[in-house]
Amino acid sequence: MGEVIIATPKSLTYKLKEFVITSSLLAFGTTFELVSKYSPELKKELADWEEGRTFGLGVWNGGPVMTIQKKDGRAVYLGLKLVNPKLTIFFRNVDAALLIFTGRLGSHMSFIEHRAFLQGNLGEAMQTARAMNIVQKFLMPGFILNKTFKVPPKFTLADYLVKARVMLMLVPAMIPNLFK
Amino acid sequence: MVPNYYEFFVPVKIVSGSKALPNLPYEMDQLGAHRAMVVTDQGVVAAGLLGPVKAAFEGSNCAIAAIFDQTPVDSSSTVCNQVAKLFREKNCDCFIALGGGSAIDTAKGANIVVSENTDDLLKFQGHERLKARMKPFIVIPTTAGTGSEATSVAVIANVEAGVKMSFSSPRLYPNVAILDPKMLVTMPKKITAATGMDALTHAVEAYINLQKNPVSDAFALSAIALVRDNLVKSVENPNDEHTRLAMANAALLGGIAFSNSLVGIVHSIAHAAGGVAHVPHGVANAILLPWGMEYNLGMRQDIIAELAPWLGAKAEGASADRAKAAIQAVRDLCKKLNQLAGLPLTLKEAGLKEDKFEEIAKQAINDGTMNYSPKDATVEDIIAILKKAY
Repeated sequence: MGEVIIATPKSLTYKLKEFVITSSLLAFGTTFELVSKYSPELKKELADWEEGRTFGLGVWNGGPVMTIQKKDGRAVYLGLKLVNPKLTIFFRNVDAALLIFTGRLGSHMSFIEHRAFLQGNLGEAMQTARAMNIVQKFLMPGFILNKTFKVPPKFTLADYLVKARVMLMLVPAMIPNLFK
Repeated sequence: MVPNYYEFFVPVKIVSGSKALPNLPYEMDQLGAHRAMVVTDQGVVAAGLLGPVKAAFEGSNCAIAAIFDQTPVDSSSTVCNQVAKLFREKNCDCFIALGGGSAIDTAKGANIVVSENTDDLLKFQGHERLKARMKPFIVIPTTAGTGSEATSVAVIANVEAGVKMSFSSPRLYPNVAILDPKMLVTMPKKITAATGMDALTHAVEAYINLQKNPVSDAFALSAIALVRDNLVKSVENPNDEHTRLAMANAALLGGIAFSNSLVGIVHSIAHAAGGVAHVPHGVANAILLPWGMEYNLGMRQDIIAELAPWLGAKAEGASADRAKAAIQAVRDLCKKLNQLAGLPLTLKEAGLKEDKFEEIAKQAINDGTMNYSPKDATVEDIIAILKKAY
C-alpha cells in the first residue's frame, strides 16, 4: 500500500494566492467604506439596507474572509474575519476568488459558473451584488469593467471626481483597517 | 456554444406513462421506505386524485402513515413546520408530494426541517447549505408546468417577514418523479394553459440566459418542442392521456433545464407580480414571455433565432427575422390559448393595477433570477416592460 496522505500542506503558490486575496479583500472593504462616503449612487443603494446589516465575503472552508456592516447610513469595514454576517458570499476555493479579484471574471459570472455560493436571503444578496458592482466601478480600471460587467458602467463628471478621491485616499485609509 | 465553465446535475428517477402510479409502493421499497407521508392540497382532494394514490398501496407492504391536505396556494415556513411535526409524530419515513408546485415545495421544506433536525427552516435559506441526507422523496405532479418534480429548488414564504425564501441544494432533488396521465386529466382548461406556458417559459429562459449549457439546452429544446406540439391539443382535448403525458414530460424537461441554467427577467417580474398583486405565476409568465424575449433581443438575437423552428416559426431568413418570428410564435400561442381557455393576454386582463408597477419593479430587481438575465434591468426598465405588457 502506498503512503496515505492525510492533508496536503499549503504550497508557496497557494500561500501567495491567499495573500493576493487577503490584500484584495482589505482593499475592497476599504474602498467600500470610501465609496459609501462619497458616491450618491452607493448611498442610494445602501438606503434600502436596514441599519446594522452585515455581510461577509471570502473563501469557503477557512480561507480569507472579511465583513462589512452598514452603520449610520455608510459601510464600515469590520476586518478580515466573519463578524456575525447576516449574509455571506463564499467563493468555493482560492482559484475562484482569484478570478474575481484579478478582474478576469465578473461577480455575476461567479454565480453563473457556480464558483460562488450564498448563505442568506437571495433578495439581500441581489442588493449586495449591486452595491459591490458600484464599489468595483470606482476601484477597477475601465478595461476590466468593460470585460467583467454585463453592461459597462457609465461615468459622469461627478463619478470621475469620486474615483479620483477614492484612489487618492485608498492607501492611507487601508492602514488603520490593517489593524481591525 | 460551450460555456467557459458549467455544472449539470439531475439525479431524479423518472417513471412516466400509463399506469405509472401503481409503481409507487415498489419505488418506496426501493428507497427503503415503508411509511409515507402524503403532502397535498384541497384542490387535489376535491378532484378525487387522492383515491388512486391510496389504491396504489393495495396489497403492498408499504402504507400511507399520514396525509397533510391543507397546503396553501403559496407554501410557507409555518406549513412546512406543521408537516414536519406530523411526519415525526406518525413515524413516517418518506415524503410523497401530490399536487403542483406548492405541495412539492412544502414537502421539500418539511424534508429540510426533518432531515436537518431543526425547528427553524430560515437557517437553511440560500444556496447549497444543506448537509444532511434528505428523507426519501417521491413526487406525483397533478399539473404540468412547475417542473419542481425535477428541480433542486424550493420557494417558500416567510409569512411573518412577508418575503419569499429561496432554498437551493442538490439534496433537494426528489428521488423519483411519477408522471401518470390519469393524474392530469382533471386539470381545468385555464390552468392547463397557464401551467403549460409556465413550462414553456422555463425552457425558453433556460435556453437564452447566461447560464445556458449544452446539456440544459438539450432538455430545454425537447421541452419547447413538446409544448409546441401538445399544449393546444391538451386544452382542446383534456381527456387525451397522450397529450397530457407529453405536457407532463415537457414540464419535467423544462424543470431539469432551469434547475441547471436558471431562469431570467420574465420570472423576476412574474415572481414580483405574484408577491405584490397575486397574479398567478403561469399567467404572468405567459403574458411577459414575449416581452422578456424582446428585452433580451439586443444581447441574444442569434440564440432567440435558434428557437424559431422549435416554436413552430419559420426557420428562414436573417437572424433578426427568425428571432422576431420566434417571439411572434409565442404571441400566437398565447392568442390561441386566450381563445380556447380564456388565458389573459395582458396584465390588465390579469387584474393588475397600474399603481402596483413601481412596487413590482423594486421587488423584481432583487429577485435572484435577474442575475441570470443576459441584459440587466433597472426599476425604470421593468416599469417600461410592465407598461408594454399592460
